[in-house]
Amino acid sequence: MTGNYHQLALADVRPGMVLSDVLLDVQGQVLLPQGAVLTEAMLALMPRHGIEMLPVETGEASPEETAATRQHHEARIAHLFRKTDADAGDDWATSLLQRFVRDFRVGHQEHGHE
Amino acid sequence: MSNTVSYDDVVRNLDDLPSLPAVVMELLNSIDQEDVDISVLAKKVSHDQALTAKTLRLANSSLYGLQVKVTTIQQAITYLGFQTTRNLITAAAVTGYFAQGHCPGFDDKAFWRHSIATAACAKVLARHMRFNQDYAFTAGLLHDIGRLVLVSCFPSQYSMTIAYREEHDCYLLAAERQVLGVDHVQAGVALAEHWNFSGTMRQAIAYHHAPEVPGAGFLATIIHVADAIVHALDLAQVQDDLVPQVSNVAWTALGLDEEVYLQIFRETELQYEEISMVLLS
Repeated sequence: MTGNYHQLALADVRPGMVLSDVLLDVQGQVLLPQGAVLTEAMLALMPRHGIEMLPVETGEASPEETAATRQHHEARIAHLFRKTDADAGDDWATSLLQRFVRDFRVGHQEHGHE
Repeated sequence: MSNTVSYDDVVRNLDDLPSLPAVVMELLNSIDQEDVDISVLAKKVSHDQALTAKTLRLANSSLYGLQVKVTTIQQAITYLGFQTTRNLITAAAVTGYFAQGHCPGFDDKAFWRHSIATAACAKVLARHMRFNQDYAFTAGLLHDIGRLVLVSCFPSQYSMTIAYREEHDCYLLAAERQVLGVDHVQAGVALAEHWNFSGTMRQAIAYHHAPEVPGAGFLATIIHVADAIVHALDLAQVQDDLVPQVSNVAWTALGLDEEVYLQIFRETELQYEEISMVLLS
């Protein structure tokens, strides 16, 4: 992958970020390939493998990729919830679930930026 | 030509299903009994080597964070407790039970991915609600079991049901009612009775699509919401999956805020990965 990257502390890595290099564990075994899009689940497993720093592409360096990942998640969630009418007030529980899952996958961004 | 099936047809066909190992039936039937003789059950399970091996792999997964490796069912009971071990045995037994591949269009791997994920999510939800986690896990695992009954007993009709769903892009439940005339909820209830499931488990299966019905029970509410969460998290990885409508009543009954849900999503994904690795390998 081209673009700038740097080592980030685990606590600063967010789901949706992209690995700029292959990720090895302390024994030198490959955990994840270069270019892997990090998920919440993967990040939560890192301490178990003794990983404290991750080589990730910086958000500023590849906004296109971050945007693409976000777009992918948004499209998938919209597809899964295609029977849900967010404007129909009587189905608010389903709409809330949709919003929470969206927040979970792409983070809070109610105002359409960040 | 009619493809419809009646409830009685379903019940008549239940006898043709192969039976679960006797010890698993015993475990399922005793789920809300406290006075079960543990050592006898442990011994019986140990006679089934495949079942024992799968159960122990689950017990040794990082899901339970054991410091020691358990090598016998008795040991698993000592470290994990009877309820949890019973869950693991049930999960290991049921997931390998129904014959595969007789119904074109039916993806049994995806079915189990969804069921296992729902079990994991229900367990997590139950912990947050201080509800019995073992009931929740087992009910989550078995909530759609009626679908396997229909697939096993009426494969060609079920194939048409799947085709109908794809054509109309509707919920599978609606397609079942339209094409078969019987849905997986009814078939699940029939099987639960046939297998002598406890009342709690029967109710959860019967009302997981209608948790707001008076008397449905809290377990049905947990399974209902867990089912929707798992669809929404896309854990079964089905291209044209659909998130079912979430009952406002059920959602309100849980009364959890967003922060808790995000944590539940995270835990569900983690647990799901661990369990599915063992059960679907």
